This record gives sequence, structure tokens and C-alpha cells, in this order.
Amino acid sequence: MKSLRRDLSSDPQASNVTSKVFVRSTKSGKVQKIVRELYLRQDIPCSSKLCSLCPSIAPSDANGNVAPFVLSDRPAGTKAFPRGHYLVPDTNALLNGMDLFEHTGAFYDVIILQTVLEELRNQSLPLYNRLLSLIKTDEKRFYLFFNEFRLETHVRRGPDESINDRNDRAVRAVASWYEEHLQVSAKKGKKEKSVPAIVVITDDKGSIRKAKAENVTALSLSDYVSGLEDSDKLLDMIGEAREARDTKGPAGQLFYPEYMSMSKLMTGLRAGNLHQGVYNVSPYNYLEASVKVPAFNKPLLILGRDNSNRAISGDVVVIEVLPQDQWKSPSTKIVDEEAVTRNDNPDSEDTEAVVSQNERKALQEEVKRAHGNSSEGKPQPTAKVVGMIKRGWRQYVGNVDSNSTGSQAASGRRQQTVFVLPMDKKVPKIRLRTRQAGDLLGQRILVTIDSWERDSRYPSGHFIRSLGELETKGAETEALLLEYDVQYKPFPKSVLDCLPAEGHDWKVPASKEDKGWNGRRDLRDLLICSIDPPGCQDIDDALHARSLPNGNFEVGVHIADVSHFVKPNNPMDLEASVRGSTVYLVDKRIDMLPHLLGTDLCSLKPYVERYAFSVIWEVTPNAEIVSSDFTKSVIRSREAFSYEQAQLRIDDPSQKDELTESMRHLLHFSKILRQRRYDAGALNLASPEVRIEASDEVGDPLTDVKTKAMLATNSLVEEFMLLANITVASKIFNSFSQTALLRRHATPPPQNFEDLINQLSKKRGMELDVSSSGALASSLDRCVDPKNPFFNTLVRILATRCMTSAEYFCAGAHAEPEFRHYGLASPIYTHFTSPIRRYADLLVHRQLASAIGYEGEDGHAVIEGVHTRGKLEDICRNINYRHRNAQFAGRASIEYYVGQALKARGEKMAAGGTDTGIDEEGYVMRVFENGVVVFVPRFGIEGVVRLEDFVLPGESGSFSVSERRELAVHRTTHFNPEEYTLRVEEKGHPEKERGVDVELFQRVKVNVSSVKEEGRGAGKRRVRILITG
Amino acid sequence: MPLDTSTTYPLTRLRLDGRRWNELRLLQAQISTNPASSGSSYLSMGNTAIMCSVHGPAEGRRGEASGAAGSAGAIVEVDVNVAGFASVDRKRKAGGSDKQSSRIATTLRSAFQSHLHTYLYPHSTISIHVSVLSADGSLLAAAINACTLALVDAGIPMPGLLTGCTSGMSGSASTPRDPRNDELDPLLDLSLPEEQELPFLTVGTTTSVPVGENSMENDEEEETKVAVLNMDSKLHCTYIETMLAVGMDGCHQIRELLEGVIKGSSRR
Repeated sequence: MKSLRRDLSSDPQASNVTSKVFVRSTKSGKVQKIVRELYLRQDIPCSSKLCSLCPSIAPSDANGNVAPFVLSDRPAGTKAFPRGHYLVPDTNALLNGMDLFEHTGAFYDVIILQTVLEELRNQSLPLYNRLLSLIKTDEKRFYLFFNEFRLETHVRRGPDESINDRNDRAVRAVASWYEEHLQVSAKKGKKEKSVPAIVVITDDKGSIRKAKAENVTALSLSDYVSGLEDSDKLLDMIGEAREARDTKGPAGQLFYPEYMSMSKLMTGLRAGNLHQGVYNVSPYNYLEASVKVPAFNKPLLILGRDNSNRAISGDVVVIEVLPQDQWKSPSTKIVDEEAVTRNDNPDSEDTEAVVSQNERKALQEEVKRAHGNSSEGKPQPTAKVVGMIKRGWRQYVGNVDSNSTGSQAASGRRQQTVFVLPMDKKVPKIRLRTRQAGDLLGQRILVTIDSWERDSRYPSGHFIRSLGELETKGAETEALLLEYDVQYKPFPKSVLDCLPAEGHDWKVPASKEDKGWNGRRDLRDLLICSIDPPGCQDIDDALHARSLPNGNFEVGVHIADVSHFVKPNNPMDLEASVRGSTVYLVDKRIDMLPHLLGTDLCSLKPYVERYAFSVIWEVTPNAEIVSSDFTKSVIRSREAFSYEQAQLRIDDPSQKDELTESMRHLLHFSKILRQRRYDAGALNLASPEVRIEASDEVGDPLTDVKTKAMLATNSLVEEFMLLANITVASKIFNSFSQTALLRRHATPPPQNFEDLINQLSKKRGMELDVSSSGALASSLDRCVDPKNPFFNTLVRILATRCMTSAEYFCAGAHAEPEFRHYGLASPIYTHFTSPIRRYADLLVHRQLASAIGYEGEDGHAVIEGVHTRGKLEDICRNINYRHRNAQFAGRASIEYYVGQALKARGEKMAAGGTDTGIDEEGYVMRVFENGVVVFVPRFGIEGVVRLEDFVLPGESGSFSVSERRELAVHRTTHFNPEEYTLRVEEKGHPEKERGVDVELFQRVKVNVSSVKEEGRGAGKRRVRILITG
Repeated sequence: MPLDTSTTYPLTRLRLDGRRWNELRLLQAQISTNPASSGSSYLSMGNTAIMCSVHGPAEGRRGEASGAAGSAGAIVEVDVNVAGFASVDRKRKAGGSDKQSSRIATTLRSAFQSHLHTYLYPHSTISIHVSVLSADGSLLAAAINACTLALVDAGIPMPGLLTGCTSGMSGSASTPRDPRNDELDPLLDLSLPEEQELPFLTVGTTTSVPVGENSMENDEEEETKVAVLNMDSKLHCTYIETMLAVGMDGCHQIRELLEGVIKGSSRR
């Protein structure tokens, strides 16, 4: 019998094979021992442009390409390293200082080790992804060195060595190898003078000590940064390091309960004792949050700091339901963080309790009330956070709380701790250590949260960068874009390279023999026109109608053929899929596609030939659809109208030309279609939107604020777009039953409407039938108050908020009955008509092209529409998220503009004497125990009216903000949650005529002005609403 | 967790175990490891280790030999057993044939049934026993190679060595290949973590003429035939050609290694 043992001695190669053994535990708690081979080699280049040895051994990939060398031959240096240096950070340095490494001012020529990358991935996936994208960019010159595979730098773990020690040793081994390697190669290349230093960056003191012994240069992150220019700014960007915590020691008292261990959470979740969901803070009360879990049909409430246990809005948490005697009804009180915790001191940690006195008082009242009328007020289940699955932390925009800076703030570079108030009200204050507190005051800054320890009342974070001064247009716009995660950086060169080389001179090929005409129908002789908002540059759609000899009509919708220019999987396509949507701000548009395409080559501009994707129907005079047809085409739009222009032209009886006639036909059909849609149960919803028409005149900026007017031509375009979308949706679903990209609007669960139904029946005796969309539509039509024309719109706004939002999905993800679009009462729907500004439409274009067998210029178009379901679901998730954020950003931008307009007006008035604000009408949307929410239709804003902002009879309304704040203390309220009424009066003056009564849906006179808000909203210009009667 | 191929390969052109795209794992083999059988072999490709023994050609068992198929030539029987300790998790039920091992057995049987000169042994049975001692990817390929060695050891005539190898494709291979971008990243001889991540195929090739000393002159005209092609993963058809080419190249390298093993052992 021969021995079967591997005989490594005989094979010369075999000496270079080693194996890596590690142990991992699976989700089910099993422990696995993994053995992997490692092939050690000597052809992994150092990638330094200085090196004369490596280029000869650098291997090529399957296509014969050799990776270019990354590290510069003239790296930047500091005073300590005059000949320049290459940096070798270890894992801790990256964990604490990723923002530094991303900084454009420093940290070039960095060698990232495989060991470090792997360890980072285990510690933090987001940081790992950021590091990967850093490695991929060329500018920063980050080189990923696979040290574990290089014979010289491979390190075997010693018998008593911890894995951390081994990894640190690996880092040092690489540093010394690099040093030696560069020396040798420089000697050969006769460039000895310019050999850069290799600097290990580590925050581990033990490692620094050992490095000294091994003759390797090692510095801690802060020591290294101190040697750079701008060190103050950069030092602030180091994460709230563990180091700092260590110095403090375990003296601090623990405020929060510990999270359960992962395995305990998993067992609990499986057993159903615990629930998992997204932590969602109430916009009116920062101490109240809700988590929606599948096991309950209403969201679970989480009240107070103790129960929320360090969760921040957006985190995925595990919660435990509290016993029934602790159930409460949702708060009826407005609680603002800065109002309650105004005086917290960022430095003193020891004196404060988790729940400060003030907070406790606020909560106490809650409980009392909840228990007092628990007989009728239905208490809801409450819960507490016991575990954290995933932190939803991102970068937050905020400003430094001026109250928290020390008295000597402006002076000196002393490090101090300040609070940052994030713009997002749902996020708690962030504790920040900074050396430049004075400079940061009055600035919009970007910060990130590093940790939230059990012994700290607030999360601690670090400064990333400043966006500029508060209330400057640039800073506020950028803040808004960051806050809603809008990609606003200019398009990189790789994207611009995908544009047609002809640029603006690109034309539809004249000769029909050209391959651009393959499979395209010539529709240039049709009388096509487009109707859009005034000043629209990215014209997605155009229309035509003409009568056919058989008495029927041909109606066509022509959509910009973006998919012709944006080919799948090229950099432009990838960029567009990340952006997902064009974002419209009041004074700025963040494009999804480069300018050249969006506003010129794709845009269906008048008088020029353009590629289009056309949907053409044959309809009877009664707008019954006989047939539909899809084709790629070439069109020439005759005119680009604005809604008003089109309306005027249709209404003008003297216009008898063909174009006008065809628009009249379209209008006629659209009215029939619209009626048919409503008959089928489509909802007419309302959103509180206003439009800003920016005019250059130096007049009253408020005149620019317009509520959206609805002309007949608006709905003309809308109806045909809906029709096109529906027609296309069923076509692509027929061809791709699993992967068609569709849009659905789920039927909202009836309990969403409970509150609204209750309020309507109590206050107005009206009924809302939510059994189907049709029933809801007709019952909404009946909710009319003859004395109050706006009431109906108000109810529609409130009803809209009860619904779920529409979403993109791929057909395989839901059963066919679930495809329904509730709001449009259509069994199937998608987005096809705006490919310039929405990525979903672009995908649908590709799918439709492949469904109709369009081959394209090179015959590849057929396969372009084909996607796997998994990939499509990823895209859906992203575009849903982007779509929502784009809407939020647009609204926030309008809100900011209105605030600024009011401010400008206020300043003008103040110059002329007094700032009196504007008297407007408002409507009460919600009643709380200590205030109401009022909606002002004129500006499309809603605002919280607190106690002090009620102007009681016999009191003048011109108190300043600070004076008014004093008033709140003297006021008392009578709140009736059953009747939704609130009575505000002066303490000790219960006389009827001295108080103010407000109730839900009531029309109130309000005075709108813009006041400089302190604290959190600083710069946002809270719009103050005073109820004057 | 260690890194994965799809993120690091494009950055460094190094695979998870430090190989380049066209490198085989360390292949070691011995023949005549079990004197009790007609022919036997032990083969390891990386951490995949396989023991194979051949019995026969011998008279078929009762009843079987009388079948119509048996009269034409020998019947090849293949039995694959993946040891309970072969993979990371120990399987409780050892010995029972699972889906994976019976599929490998079927593929091996049909491959060798047509490959071997079975017509020389009518009414007889050649039984092959494959034991997987340790599984780390490319199981089918390693089994083909081990069987070939054992069959050679048993002295059963065949036209040439049948060798197997896997090749995979990194990148997004489920979407159609971009016609404007010719860069592909095929990988040779996949290990288990790579198999779990990437689409791959197993290809087995043979030469029609033995590549012995006698055929030195017409080495150039050596004709390679694909005898086995097996793929379980989903892949867009545009990538197959490249993968096949890479896999066949791998088979060629392995053939040379196996020839070395056979020659080396006869010298001893």
C-alpha cells in the first residue's frame, strides 16, 4: 500500500502552496472550519511608477492587458518626509478616518492591503464599499496590493498570535518589503535620491511600538494629519475614535440598556416574541416613533428615550411588545427636541440622566392622559427596542447649536464638544468634537454619526465638510440635495464620452439607406405638436390626430427615443440608473442624462427631425380604441405649445388650420377618456402643490408663488400619456411575463382611513366609503361644504396621505391581480412617456423595442430589453427610492423658496416700518393638545401653530418671537380629542371672550411671516403662522 | 468573510486563492494505489481529492450479461461516493447516493461507455468506484481524470486519455455580452467558492490517437474531441465559446500532467 499523503517535496511548485484556515459560524449557529489554498507568487507588482523591476513581471489578464501602475513617482510629502511617501493604513485607521482618505486635499498614493480590505469588510460593509470606490477612481491613486499572495509578504499566523496581531504584523511586513523593494529597484534605475518613505498609519499603540522595533515608520492617524497643512480642519474629520473613549475609561454611567445578542434576536424573531421593522420617528413628536411590523395591522408605538434605546430614524430594529398595561394611544402633543432639551450641555455627561427632567415631565403627562381616558381612547400596543439589525445612518446636514459652544468659542483652537442640530427633525442632536467651533457657527455643515455608546445620551459623530454659510443659496441647495441623496455632481468624463461625437450638430440621417433608419417608420409628414409647461426644454412627448377615410381617427403619441442614444451597460446608462430621475428644484434642475441629450438630441423640439418611439391608435369618433400599434419613428414636430398657448389656439374660433383642428380632436377624445376613467373609479387626488414661476423682475417675489392651475390642455396631455402607458404596459407584460417593468399602486388597507373617517363623521357628518376606489371617489365628491369651497380639496389632501405610494416592480414579483393601479383604476400600468427624466421609462422603452422585434442599428436592440429578474428588482428598488426622494427634494425646495420670499418681503416691510406678515386663510388639518397644524393653500405650506402663536382677543399681534415664547407659559388649553377641538386661553382668565376656540377643518385667519428660527431649523426660516381669529 | 471574486478580480486580476485566470491548481496524482483492484488511482486538484479503483473487465453478474447491451461489449458501471467528511459540513447520511453523486456517476458512465474500447470485452462488466475524499470544486473534472488514470492502470484500452477541466466566467454573465466590448474574463479550474459565485462548465476532451512516442511525428495534427460537456449554471449563450476554449486548453494541460504521472510510475 502506498502512502497517499501529499508529497510536497517532489514538486518544486508545491512549496509555494500554503493554505489558509479560518473558522466561521453560520446563521444557524453552526461553526464551520474553512480551508482554502493559497498560491504564493512573485509576480504581483508593487505598482509604483518608480519601480524598474515590476513592469517586466507584471502579468496580463485574459485579454492581454497589463494593469497600469498606480502609485506616482513623485508622491506628495510632508515636512517629516521631504522625499514624499506612500501610505499604508491599517484597518483601524480606515475605520476612524475614511472621510479623511476621501478628502481631496491630502492622502494620495495609498497602498491598500488585501488583509486590510478583508478585515474592513468584516467590520463595516459601507466603509468597505466606499474604499472600493476610492480604489477604482484614478485621481486618488489608491493601489490594492494583494500581500497575502506575494511570497515575500505572506505572513503565517503564529501559534499564540491573535488574528489582530497577525494582521498588524502583515501590514508591517508589507511596509518593510516595499521599502527594500523600492531601494533595490531605485539602485538599479539610478534614482536613489527620490525613493519615497513608506509610512504605516495605525491607531494601535502596540503596533506603533513594534514598528519602531522593526525599523518601520509608523504614525497614528492624528499624528500624521497634524503634520499636514490644514491640519485643524482635517483633524476634525477623524472619527470619534475608540481611542478617545478609552481615555475616558469606564467611569461613565450607562444610560441605555444593552442590545440583545444576535443569536438571541434571531431566536426571538423566529419564535415571534420579537419583531423586526424600520424605526420611524413622528414628525411632530421626537419622543414618539412607530415601527410597522407584519404581525400587527397598526404600527407599534415606541415612546420615550428609554424604549427607543439609541435607535435613529431609518434604522432597522428589533422590538419587543410591552405588556398591555403600558399601552398608550399616540401622542396628541407637539414635542420639539430643542424646546425641551435646550439647555443640555454637550460636555457634561455625568450629571444628566437619560430622560431629563423636562422630558420626564412631558412623558408623564402623556401617560396620565392615556390612562385617564383609556376607557374610550383606544390605547395602541407599545414596544421597546431591544436590538439593532442595521443602522440606517447616513451623512446628515445640520448646523452647530450656538448655545452649545463655549464662551470662548471664537478664540483659540482648543478642541471642544458641540451639538449639531440636523436639519431632519427626526434625527437627534449629534455630539461633535471640533477645533474650529468658532468657524463652524453659522455654517451649513455635513456630519456623520460614528457611534452611539450606552453611556452617552446623544450619538457622537464627526465633521465632514462645510457647505457654506447658512441661508446662502448655494449652501442651502446643496444641503437639500445631500439630505435627499440626490446625485448632483457633474457627469464624469466616462459618461460624456458616451455622447454622440457630433454633439449639437447631430441630425437624423438624410438618407433612408442609413442604418439609423433601420426599422423606423417615416412620420415626418404628420402634423405633430407638443404641449408642455412654459419654458420646458426637455420635451418628452408630442401628439397628433388625423381623420382616416373610414371615419375613424388616428391618434399618435410620440415619445423621445432616448434608448437610441443610451445603450445598456455603458457608463451613461449606469449613471442614469443610479440617478434614477431628474430632480426639479425651484431654480435648478439636476438632470438624469447629460444636457446634450436631455435638452437637444432627444428633446422633441419643434421644426427639426427627431427620433421617436410612437404609439399609434385607431379610434372611433366615440374614442373606442380599434387597434394600437407601436413603432420606432422619425418625426418633425410642427410646434411646441405651452398649455396656455394651446388653450388659446383651441378656443380661438378663427383658427381653422389643420394643426388646430387636430388639437381640437385630441381635446375631444381626452374628455371622453377622462370621463371613462372616472366612471371606472379613478380618483381625483389633490396634493398641496404650488408652482414657482421665477420672474426676473424685482417685484414682490411672492407673486411668483402660484397654485397650479389646471387647464383643459393639461388634462389633454395627461389623458393620452395615461393611455399610452397603459397600452404599453399590457404589451410588454404579454412579451415578458416575468420581467416587464410595471408600476402599481396598492389598494390601501381600510384601517389607514380610520382616523379620517372618524373625523369627517364627527365634525361634518359626512361619510367616506373606502370599500373601493370608485366608492371612495364618489364619496369624496360628496364631501363638499358650500360655505367653504376649499374644504373638498382639504379632504382630498388628507385622503391622499392615507394611501400607500405607487411603486415600480417587475412583473414576476407580484401576482397579476396585484398589478392594479388603485388611483388610476387601471388593471395594469407602467411609465413610458418620460424617458428623458425617468430611468424606468428608458427601461420600458428597451423592453417595448424588443417586444416588437425592433432590431436597431446593429441588430442588438432585441437583446437590450432582456434583463434578469434579480437585476431588475435591484433597479426597481433604486428607482422607487430616487423617485420618492426627487419628490421630497422638489417640495423642500419650494418650501425654502417660499420662506425666502417671505423673508425678502418681510425685510422690505421692516425697512418701511413694521413687519406685519401677510394675512391669509388657513385650514386646521390636525389638532394637538398644545397646538394645531394649519395648512395655508396660498403658499402650499403647512405649519405647526404652538400655544404662543395664538393671538387671543384683546392682544396685539406684533410681539417678537422671543416675547411670544414667554407667553406659552401663561397659557392653558382645553383639548377634546373626541371632538377635535382646542381652546386656548390665558391662565386665570377663563372668560369666554378672552379665549380662542379652534376645531378640525375650521377655516382660520392666519398671519404668515418668516422668522429666523433658532436651533435646528436655523436658516430654514420657519414660516410662522399666527392665528388671528 | 473573505473577499469575493466579482469585486477583487477586476481590480487585481488575482483570484481568491492567488491564481491568475489561466492557472490550474496544484495537480498531484498516483496510480496503482490499491493493489487489490485491477486498476486504481489517487488524484488531487487543489483541495479536491479523489480515490478511484477499477474492477474488471470481469464476467457480469447473473442476469445482466444476458441483456442485449451486454453482448455487444462490456458494460461500464460507475459508483460515486462522496465521503461524509468531504465538504465543510459533515453529512450525517453517509453512503447513500445523493443527487450530486448520482449525476456525476451518470455522466462518467456515459462518457466512459463510449470512450473505452468496450467491444473487446463482450459479456463483461467494468466497474469503477469513485470515492471523493475532499470536495473543493471541479468535482466532475477531477473524477474524470481519476477514472482515466485508474482505467489506464487497469490496462483497459482506450483511444486517448480523457481529461476534464472546468472553466468559469466572471463578470455579469447572465446578461448578453456587450458586442461593443470584447473584454471577457474567463477563469480556469474553479475552486468551490468560485463555483458558488460564478457560472461555470465542465469540459472533457480526448485525443483520437494515443500521444505516445510512436505518434511524435504527427503531433501537430493531433485531433482533440470534446467528449464531455456539462453545465448546471445559467449563462448567456454568447459567453460559451470563450469558456469552452479556455476549458479545452485546461484539458490539454492536464493531459500532459497525467501523461507524466503514467510514465513516471512505469519507470519505477
